[in-house]
Amino acid sequence: MIDTKHVNRLRAITGKENVLTSKEEMVAYSYDGTQMWSHQPDVVIFPTNATEISETLKYANENGIPVTPRGGGTNVSGGSIPIRGGIVLCTTKMNRIIEINKTNLNATVEPGVILQDFQDALAKQGLFFPPDPQSYSGCTMGGVVAENSGGPSCLKYGVTKQYVLGLEVALADGKIVKLGGLTPKNRTGYELMMLFTGSEGTLGIITKITLRLLPVPKANQTVLAIFRDPAVAGETVTSIIASSILPSKVEFMDKWTFNKFRGIIPDAILDTSEVILLIQVDGLPQTVAAEVQQVVTITKKTAREVRVAADAKEAEKYWQARRAHFSDIHSQAHDIINEDVSVPRDKIADFIRLSQEAAKRYDVPISFAGHVGDGNFHPAVLTDSRNKEHYQRALKCVDEVIEIALKLGGVISGEHGIGLEKARFLKKAMDPTAIEIMKKIKDLLDPKHTLNPGKIWEEG
Amino acid sequence: MKTDTKYTEIEKFKDALDSCTKCGFCMAGCPVYREEKKESSVARGKIMLIRALLDGEVEVTDEMAEQLNRCTLCMTCAQNCPAGTQVPTVITAARADKVKRRGVPFPYNIVFRWLLPRRRLFGWTIRLASWFQRIFLPKTEGTLRHLSFFLSALGKSRHIPQIAPKFLRESVPEVNKPPEGVKVKFTVGYFTGCMTDFVFPELGQKIISFLTKNGVEVIIPRGQGCCGALVFLGAGDFATGRKMADTNVKAFKDLDYIITDCATCASSMKDYVKFLADTEARKKAYTAYAGKIKDITEFLVDVVKLPASAYHVAPEFKGKTVTWHEPCHLGRYLGVKEQPRKILKSLKDIKFVEMPDADRCCGMAGTFSIYFYDLSQKIAEKKAESISSTGADIVVTDCPGCQIQLMDTLKRLKMPQEVRHIMELVE
Ligand SMILES: Cc1cc2nc3c(=O)[nH]c(=O)nc-3n(C[C@H](O)[C@H](O)[C@H](O)COP(=O)(O)OP(=O)(O)OC[C@H]3O[C@@H](n4cnc5c(N)ncnc54)[C@H](O)[C@@H]3O)c2cc1C
Ligand code: SF4
Ligand code: SF4
Repeated sequence: MIDTKHVNRLRAITGKENVLTSKEEMVAYSYDGTQMWSHQPDVVIFPTNATEISETLKYANENGIPVTPRGGGTNVSGGSIPIRGGIVLCTTKMNRIIEINKTNLNATVEPGVILQDFQDALAKQGLFFPPDPQSYSGCTMGGVVAENSGGPSCLKYGVTKQYVLGLEVALADGKIVKLGGLTPKNRTGYELMMLFTGSEGTLGIITKITLRLLPVPKANQTVLAIFRDPAVAGETVTSIIASSILPSKVEFMDKWTFNKFRGIIPDAILDTSEVILLIQVDGLPQTVAAEVQQVVTITKKTAREVRVAADAKEAEKYWQARRAHFSDIHSQAHDIINEDVSVPRDKIADFIRLSQEAAKRYDVPISFAGHVGDGNFHPAVLTDSRNKEHYQRALKCVDEVIEIALKLGGVISGEHGIGLEKARFLKKAMDPTAIEIMKKIKDLLDPKHTLNPGKIWEEG
Repeated sequence: MKTDTKYTEIEKFKDALDSCTKCGFCMAGCPVYREEKKESSVARGKIMLIRALLDGEVEVTDEMAEQLNRCTLCMTCAQNCPAGTQVPTVITAARADKVKRRGVPFPYNIVFRWLLPRRRLFGWTIRLASWFQRIFLPKTEGTLRHLSFFLSALGKSRHIPQIAPKFLRESVPEVNKPPEGVKVKFTVGYFTGCMTDFVFPELGQKIISFLTKNGVEVIIPRGQGCCGALVFLGAGDFATGRKMADTNVKAFKDLDYIITDCATCASSMKDYVKFLADTEARKKAYTAYAGKIKDITEFLVDVVKLPASAYHVAPEFKGKTVTWHEPCHLGRYLGVKEQPRKILKSLKDIKFVEMPDADRCCGMAGTFSIYFYDLSQKIAEKKAESISSTGADIVVTDCPGCQIQLMDTLKRLKMPQEVRHIMELVE
């Protein structure tokens, strides 16, 4: 339990109404989007400006109290779980969009802005921020930067780090530092902003973000194609890209989501297929029409059935089904172990085949969905943690799936980050010298390890 | 004692409780979360708290009771939820388990348990309150008055319309036949709801006159009571709710259609079977009852199938710009979305403008706005912004509860728009 004097100090810093301590509220801050991890904080605070964050960090640092930053709490790696208790510093009340500048194609926001609210505000001005983590209706801009998030659109548009122009960060000792600026080109010193982008709240708390924007493409269209063989689906993606088309999204779904397509695709085909690909192209209307034609011609050679969504409403139906993948499999198992590996595109078919073989050996169900365009996959093993023996087999299978990805030249996390969930794989996945450098950076910026302790490379 | 038998109402919806994957898709849309920005306000947080309740991790403390009440049951979360988790259902069940342990606090217990179920007594009390209102309080801002006396338990200096000098049931007969020369095509029972009966009787009269003119015979069974929404959905008092449900089922037993002008009454009565059916007989009766209920716009468009030419705008509204607020209970609960818009579009002499986020909750939610008036007003202010952006003169809706909330908000913000029920526009 945290000393009352600390709580009183936090109340003095952020105001009484912005400090929570009741048992009920602590329960509500004990989890995130992860399935297996949970730990309650001692206190939750909602600062409303950078100075309050700075004063909190300074006080926590002096008194050795752990501080776990949190935005929407939608991450799926345990990153925002206060595994050592202490303070959860939640940014959701810092939710102002400070500026949207159409001329300079940039925007400055506070960290607690919900991604969907940001996109809605941008859309009104014909602009967009391309990274589109599928958790957009809950995740915050601070979380998006701290996780260096991506989404389906990243095939064409890249991930968050490609859009960060400037950051303001409160460091563990309370100092506030401004990094980067407002311009897309900036060659002044080391790229320190990048150190904080993707740092999962372990090096500092992001208090302000300046992002590069793009104009919204004038048109887009979605093509659905269904295949019997995952390998053939993978090769088809390669053929599309080899034909000089770069779709904005190519997403992969397996059988577990097929129910959502009943009534759209004949049952006879669904029942004998393995994979659905959703392919979106965007750009000028003429280009989109021509490219869709080309995509259809290529996919028709290999797919069992190809559909072009008649309108935005039908397209949204397809994408909704994609977004529901996780809940679809969740409804069929007590627990899910969801991975986030990324493999080179030409290894996708091998990856799926080898992973399926592993699942068969361990006798556990496995499902795949992902951003196949960029090789980022979410294999999910279905299990039941109440059945110890099954759960152990599932864990072993996941270990092997990760080994497979690494052997194929892939990485253990494409977009979800390491947090608590993947920490045990880090040694296998990273050069020991690189881990050594990370530790030194951590020691330099947060020598007392009060910021988000227990995450990434530290033993939980 | 094994903990999992402690919360019998929640247990009935255990599948819904278990289906949440903690994905957070419910966050941006939740009106309460948007204001409070804390996890315990949003569907995911409520689900996790209720799971903690079942696990014995937390108890039904004052705080827990408050967290359960802090939800408008607007259904937006369920609509956005990829897992289809019926959060409002789980919360309602949890409220019932809470009441079983702690009862309903004073003075709400008096109102919910004694007044609402007794239609005549409730009417007299309201009448009494309105006399006091007239004697002791100056009239404020047109026809709206600051609420006083026992009703002040229900609202903090809220602007509410005056209690009608003559209630609907006192001013119309039980059986209302179509005028001479118009053939009876349908016979319906009209569930008038407390608001139309006590506060907006002219609305009831308009509806009766429109229906009869179009060949619908309207019966107003005298035995009907309050729908019970505040009691069983809001306060979680299922035992009293059951009595109210039985009263209504009995009152309408000989009729094939039950029409309402209040989306909340309609959807709450359809929910009798989900929450209150404790015996096979009740299950059967409530299911049959639910099947008969139609919202007025749904009845006109889907059942009577009136042509566009049958709708005329009342003279006082000619030339006005009108926007539409879609009540949660109408759109998300009853799935009635197109019907009222179809009616509005057939009115030639008005300009109909769709407002942004027309289906976003107005924050009324019965007991919610009583318990958390300030929060409810903050939610309503978002609605006011939408209304204002359309440039409309009038905002119409299909729920007297929403109407009262919008009237109060617009008055408070000194906005000029009028608030009306959609059926006040047509004749
Ligand atoms: C259903 C679902 C789908 C998802 N889809 C995707 C996807 O397509 N692509 C993808 O990349 N991710 C995805 N995610 C993961 C997650 O939503 C993203 O990582 C998201 O960006 C996290 O944002 P958040 O605000 O919820 O952050 P949180 O979960 O609150 O925090 C994430 C991490 O960032 C840190 N943090 C938060 N705010 C700050 C700050 N201001 N300063 C410093 N550190 C901070 C936290 O300490 C934590 O380590 C998905 C998650 C779910 C549940
Ligand atoms: S959207 Fe549904 S599944 Fe996701 S957190 Fe909310 S209630 Fe749970
Ligand atoms: S019903 Fe409405 S207020 Fe309640 S949790 Fe769901 S979205 Fe929020």
